[in-house]
Amino acid sequence: MTETWRLIDMRVEDAPTQMSMDEAIATLRVNEKTPNTIRLYRWSPSAVSIGYFQSIENEVNLDNCRRYGVDVIRRITGGGAVYHDYNGEITYSLVAPETHPKMPRDILSSYQLICGSIVNGLKELGVDAEFKPVNDIVAGGKKISGNAQTRRHGVILQHGTVLVDSDIRRMFEVLKVSDAKISDKLIKTVEERVTNLRRYTGREVTFKEARDALIHGFENTLDIILEPGELTRKEKELANNLHEKYSSKEWVFQR
Amino acid sequence: MGLPAVKSMGKAEYKIPGGKLLYAETEISNGRFTYVKISGDFFMHPEESINLLEDAVKGTNVENIDYSIRHFFESNNITLFGVNPNDFLYVIKLSLNNDK
Repeated sequence: MTETWRLIDMRVEDAPTQMSMDEAIATLRVNEKTPNTIRLYRWSPSAVSIGYFQSIENEVNLDNCRRYGVDVIRRITGGGAVYHDYNGEITYSLVAPETHPKMPRDILSSYQLICGSIVNGLKELGVDAEFKPVNDIVAGGKKISGNAQTRRHGVILQHGTVLVDSDIRRMFEVLKVSDAKISDKLIKTVEERVTNLRRYTGREVTFKEARDALIHGFENTLDIILEPGELTRKEKELANNLHEKYSSKEWVFQR
Repeated sequence: MGLPAVKSMGKAEYKIPGGKLLYAETEISNGRFTYVKISGDFFMHPEESINLLEDAVKGTNVENIDYSIRHFFESNNITLFGVNPNDFLYVIKLSLNNDK
């Protein structure tokens, strides 16, 4: 039987709110107090999120973030730094229990399945994308989506970015990119490593189109129906409480 | 009267071939790690284990770092992606030769 999951659809919030919501849903999912959920969202103001283990100093150009009014936040998930461009990026998050029949227990296989939803969604837009383990999705050899997962108390939280029309030049002004990373891949400029839907397809892809395609990707790949819903009262309360942590210097600058 | 403390600080960056990027910052005083900060775009589950790893290194004699890292990963149930225990060891050792 096809299952129904909750969809929290294209909310625009600031960085601490978005990260608080993801954590709140995942936390409350532990005791089945909240449904399996997909969120699609955008960040306002635009923000850089860095992985749990990353150092702000190594990854983020804070002067340029200040100059352009770009927020900086640390995720609870590992992985790399992402520029969430309000005008050109969609983030998704998925929360479901590890024991869900569709979810592989093995972390790598679950990346493959969940990223497969994004790949299938992108195919609908004419993008020949593929999953590149551990946590990337590439199109034409360039990164178009990065993904990160954590598991806590038996619940999977995976979130990721889909580049729609991100300002890639700005991206590399707010991120610091290590020389080692570039030279290893034998690529001269960072701009050659990343693409977005607009660049890849050569046409304007609207947020609505991208959002529709991602929804179909999740529904078809996971064999679910996404029904629009809202956060529960408990989720809102918990998210409000978490907001302080995500806004704090102690959290953001801990590494 | 002891000898004056011999202190050194180091920093290293290591691109794991085909994988992630690792950084280590260390401080050694009288042959022991007094500070260690590891960072990078890898994955470690559970995430908080990174603090335990750093705590395990602190106080370790530089000579025993191989054992200390190996023992840490053998005695804790930690899942790593994009990095393995030897990479942590490697970047920490690399930092020892890179005085700031």
